[in-house]
This record gives sequence, structure tokens and C-alpha cells, in this order.
Amino acid sequence: MASKKLRRSTSGDDDEAKVDMSPMIDMVFLLLIFFIVNATAIIVQTDPDVLPPVAKNSKRQEDGRGRIVINVREDGTYTAENFNVVLADDKDIFDLVKIEKEKYEALGIEPKLHLRGDQDAVFKFSRTAIRAAAQAGVDQVIFAVYQTHKGLRKEKK
Amino acid sequence: MARHKKSKAEEEADPDLDISSLIDVCFLLLIYFLVTSTIIPRETDLGMSLPAAAPSTEQPKIEPMFIRVDAAGTIYSGVGAGQQQLDSNAGDRNVPLLDSQLDLYAAAARSADSKPLVQVYVDPGAKQQRVIDVLNALAGAKITSVTFTDLVE
Repeated sequence: MASKKLRRSTSGDDDEAKVDMSPMIDMVFLLLIFFIVNATAIIVQTDPDVLPPVAKNSKRQEDGRGRIVINVREDGTYTAENFNVVLADDKDIFDLVKIEKEKYEALGIEPKLHLRGDQDAVFKFSRTAIRAAAQAGVDQVIFAVYQTHKGLRKEKK
Repeated sequence: MARHKKSKAEEEADPDLDISSLIDVCFLLLIYFLVTSTIIPRETDLGMSLPAAAPSTEQPKIEPMFIRVDAAGTIYSGVGAGQQQLDSNAGDRNVPLLDSQLDLYAAAARSADSKPLVQVYVDPGAKQQRVIDVLNALAGAKITSVTFTDLVE
């Protein structure tokens, strides 16, 4: 009685329905490699209110260490890397740069000012930030730019 | 006996799974991601060393080059009577006149075995993009040390 059922089920297990997994694995690897190659590690958080200018002699962002980010919006508002933190004036920038500089120097990393100035902001706002950073002892400045104007969003968010 | 044989032969034939549709979908996704991923450009770096008017211990061997950018975005070189107007179209990202001046200056500085020294005076009302155009030209001439000066004339 029971042996008949048992025999049927065991005989069914003998010849398994095989699915060839290798093409799927190929595709998954291909996608994985594509995303690894295409992905960029986030160097700095970017403020969506700032649209940086274009400079074709710029280089790829490589080293994310030691960057002290100051965003300069078009209306002259300064924000830190966390763009919800608004820096009211050059005193706030000085304090931020000084604290960050000491933090990086304790780790043996050279601090740099990463200035994300909006392309339509007037330069006096950037100069205020550069000067405040220089007073705090950081004179290496990295201007955040785009390499080409191709594909740039036209409007700020 | 014969009945039993027949059923065994039926079980031996493997059930085929058609995976070509899976591959189709995978390619479609791959192409979709390839096309969309090129849309957002990534930010790049324009690094400059801006020594904050630090007093230099040694006398420079070569006269510094002076560049001025006015509020409208016109670029000038030189000071006083020797001041020349260079590129004036603030909407153009190419600055050929400034490029050629900088190349001459950088070549002269290197033949005099000196570091090229550039001072930039920017009008407070000039656009950030125009200043970046000048810095871009400097980077193109392999000049990475600039001073922003507040002096005019």
C-alpha cells in the first residue's frame, strides 16, 4: 500500500529536472562587474542647491580624505557638507575649518578646503570662505567643478 | 512488464527550461542601466594652492603675472599702463588670449628656472564661473599656485 506510493516518489527523485544555471550566473556576474566599474565611491556629499561651474582641465576626484566641504549657494548662503547646517558668516566657517583641520591633522591627513561654489554666485562669497579657511590655516583649495557642460541639469533643485 | 518500461522511458526525458527569455530580459536591463547611468555627470576637482599672501623668504627671480577679472567677466593682464584687455566674452568657456599669454609666461618662468607666479584680482561682483575659467586656464598652463590679491593697479 504505502510502498507503492513510496516507490513512485523515490523513482521520481532519481531523474531530477535540471535547470542550467550557468547563463544566469554569467549574467549576474556581468551586471555585478558593470555596477562595480560604473560606481563611484561618494567622495563628498553634495548640496543639490549648488550647481558647480565647468572647467575642462579638472581632474577626477580621487582622494576623499581631508576634505573640508563648504557649499556656496547662489544667494551667498554657506552650508557645510551636511547641507542642512547653514554657516551664518565667516566666523562660523573659520570655526568649522579649524575644528575639521585639527581632526584631520590628528590623523596625519593634510586638510584641504573643498569649495563647492555655485556657478552664478558672485566671487566675493567664495573669497570670504577662502579667506576664513586661510585664517584657520588651510590654503589648499579644491574647487568643485564639472568637466563638461554636457548633461548638466539646467535648474537647481 | 511492457507498461512499466514505457513509464520509465517517459520519466527519463529531461524537462527543458527555455532560458532565452531570461537572457533577453537581462540584456534589456543591462542596456537600460548603461544608457541611464551616463546621464548624471560627476563632479571633478580643480585643485589650487592659495598661499594667503604669505611673505616669501626668497626674492622671486621673475616678475609675477597679474590677471584681473572685472564684474562683467572681462579678463585683463598686466598692471597700470601695460594692462591689456584679453578675453571679454563671459559666456564663452574658452579663453584663447589668456591661454596664449599664460603659455608664454610659464615658458619664460621655466627658462628662468623659477616658479611661475600669478596674482589674480577678482572684482567682488564677478561670477564664480568666470573665476573658474581663469583657474582652468592656469591649470592648463600647469600653474597650480595662485594668490588672490585685493590690490588694484
